[in-house]
Amino acid sequence: MKTPLSLVALRYAAAMFITVIFMFPIFWWGLTSIKPASDIFNKDEVVVFDFKPTLINYRVTVLGESPSMLTGGGTASGTTMGTGGENSFDGRKTIFDSIVIAIGSTIFTLAVSLGAAYALSRMAFRGNQLYLNWILSHRFLPPIAIIVPLVFMFHNLGLRDTYLGLILVHSLINLPIAVLLLKSFLDDVPKELDQAAMIDGATRWQSFRMVVVPMIRGGIAATAVLCFVFSWTEFLLSLFLTSEIRTLPVKITTFVTSTGSEWGFISALGTSAMLPSFIFILLVQRHLVRGLTMGAIKD
Amino acid sequence: MASVTISDAIKKYGALQVLHGINLDIRNGQFIVLLGPSGCGKSTLLRMIAGLEEVTAGEISIGGSKMNDVHPKDRNIAMVFQNYALYAHMSVRENMAFSMRLKKVDKSKIAERVGWAAKILSLEPFLDRMPRELSGGQRQRVAMGRAIVRNPDVFLFDEPLSNLDAKLRVQMRTEIKELHQNLKTTTIYVTHDQIEAMTMADVVVIMRDGNIEQVGSPLEVYDNPANLFVAEFIGSPGMNILEGTIGEDSVGKTFDFHGFSMPLPQDFKVHAGQNVLYGIRPEHVITSTSGAGLQATVKVVEPTGPETHIYADHGDMELCSVSRERLALSPQSEVRFLPDIDFVHLFDAKTKIAILKSQSAG
Ligand SMILES: Nc1ncnc2c1ncn2[C@@H]1O[C@H](COP(=O)(O)OP(=O)(O)OP(=O)(O)O)[C@@H](O)[C@H]1O
Ligand SMILES: [Mg+2]
Repeated sequence: MKTPLSLVALRYAAAMFITVIFMFPIFWWGLTSIKPASDIFNKDEVVVFDFKPTLINYRVTVLGESPSMLTGGGTASGTTMGTGGENSFDGRKTIFDSIVIAIGSTIFTLAVSLGAAYALSRMAFRGNQLYLNWILSHRFLPPIAIIVPLVFMFHNLGLRDTYLGLILVHSLINLPIAVLLLKSFLDDVPKELDQAAMIDGATRWQSFRMVVVPMIRGGIAATAVLCFVFSWTEFLLSLFLTSEIRTLPVKITTFVTSTGSEWGFISALGTSAMLPSFIFILLVQRHLVRGLTMGAIKD
Repeated sequence: MASVTISDAIKKYGALQVLHGINLDIRNGQFIVLLGPSGCGKSTLLRMIAGLEEVTAGEISIGGSKMNDVHPKDRNIAMVFQNYALYAHMSVRENMAFSMRLKKVDKSKIAERVGWAAKILSLEPFLDRMPRELSGGQRQRVAMGRAIVRNPDVFLFDEPLSNLDAKLRVQMRTEIKELHQNLKTTTIYVTHDQIEAMTMADVVVIMRDGNIEQVGSPLEVYDNPANLFVAEFIGSPGMNILEGTIGEDSVGKTFDFHGFSMPLPQDFKVHAGQNVLYGIRPEHVITSTSGAGLQATVKVVEPTGPETHIYADHGDMELCSVSRERLALSPQSEVRFLPDIDFVHLFDAKTKIAILKSQSAG
């Protein structure tokens, strides 16, 4: 049966409408980042397109140029200029820090959780199910509940304010979900495939690497996106455990001060911060396909 | 090539015992078929030989060496799984080459072997396709191909033809048989299709509920079933079974059934009054419209071409006869079924074990 044209049009309209609603905040955020300070908050009217676009906010936050030079000493609040002459709105190191930590914790989480999920999915051992529930229970705790002991532990271990420290902490939070997710993907790969590989002469490691992992590529990609996005946006733990190293969410909050909020810089850095995760997701996306085990077995 | 010996093999899943002490000797080069109804433990036994299931107790050896604790990859066996288990992310070619790739066989040698297997299995046009782009039968052949490209000591097949259409099944049956005649590789083949078992096997092993009921050549098993289960399981249409007692008349021992007395070969080791089951295969029942025999009312007539199956009711019992003659029978008509007494089987009513004839009769 052919769908009537009017219905097709209606569907597209509805889809468009919803997309617009969801995209609007991001659009507004991007728009704000290219507005001059005077047009961001205008007490008389809402400025939509009626402004002179500027890249100042990007030049300060992403290129690290000095704000006072660019604006002639006249930002929104003026007084929050970098202490000691240095540009405290320079986001370059923070972007680097965030990338290192997000990628590091994603890789670490995947490596550990893949092994754990494989064991849980393929090897029958006493307390298998119990162990799974126990893993999940870790996720029930709000991060704030563990922050105090963590700070002490990290301090004593010398992990405070290190990349490794934050990578470990983000992995810690991501692991339960990653293990569960990957296990469910692994459970969908018929055991006979591992067995066929072993009969074909593969060691367990070879059958894992050459047969099982390629089949759950999609699951691994999905898990990677989740881990990356979590780490990329995580605030609380990073705030407590770092001072020199700053991840993006933490850095951006320092733009909100007692004397005023640098909305221009915040939106510029925020918009730029979307780019790396966007690229990451784009890279991973081609693996996000279903039905990789299709054709493996008699249905 | 190797022999396979299974001694007192037991398999338990937790408290559930699925194999109860299996003993089986498979000689080098034999084609042996494990036959039995669904759930009787055929796959389990095969998987124990492959090393995919732990042996709870007993011993499995291949080529004379104990295999209980040997990793599957070190057993030099090839297996076709009941559900194919193809590597879905690899092309047909890669699927077949996988085992040789692991062994680091020469590229040219791999190509040669894969080409050879593809030719035998008519898979040449599909070598670069992915498994998901194949039909069920083609997938099954890929699974076969993956097994035969290697040069294993033992082939293990778990119902490899169950998903093929009738014609392809017959063709593949011949193909496998021919392959075995050429390669002479010891083969253990699981099926619940008795035609496959009869046509392919050197030795048929009939299993039920985790036990072996009978081991023998296809014709031995057909002609001399060791017990009622084997008698009923082998043969289609199935053997007619009548329940009655041994009687005696002026000539000698008879089989008494529903007030009807039928002659018996005199060399059966039975005594008068013994409760027995009387078995006769449909092709040994002579159908006529009058004369001697059990009276029955025709229910269904099924012509198959070379022969005609006649199902008829005697009282509340359904009997079957297979005739090569073109009988003009219609439902509800009366027929006489006369068993050919040379082909009668007797089973003890209680133990269900076949009653033998005395040796003198040879
Ligand atoms: N992992 C398992 N845990 C518990 N019981 C099992 C397991 N695998 C098989 N069984 C049981 O063992 C018995 C034998 O199973 P098996 O797969 O060997 O049967 P089969 O003869 O191959 O049947 P089919 O012809 O249907 O393939 C069945 O009753 C089955 O329920
Ligand atoms: Mg089976």
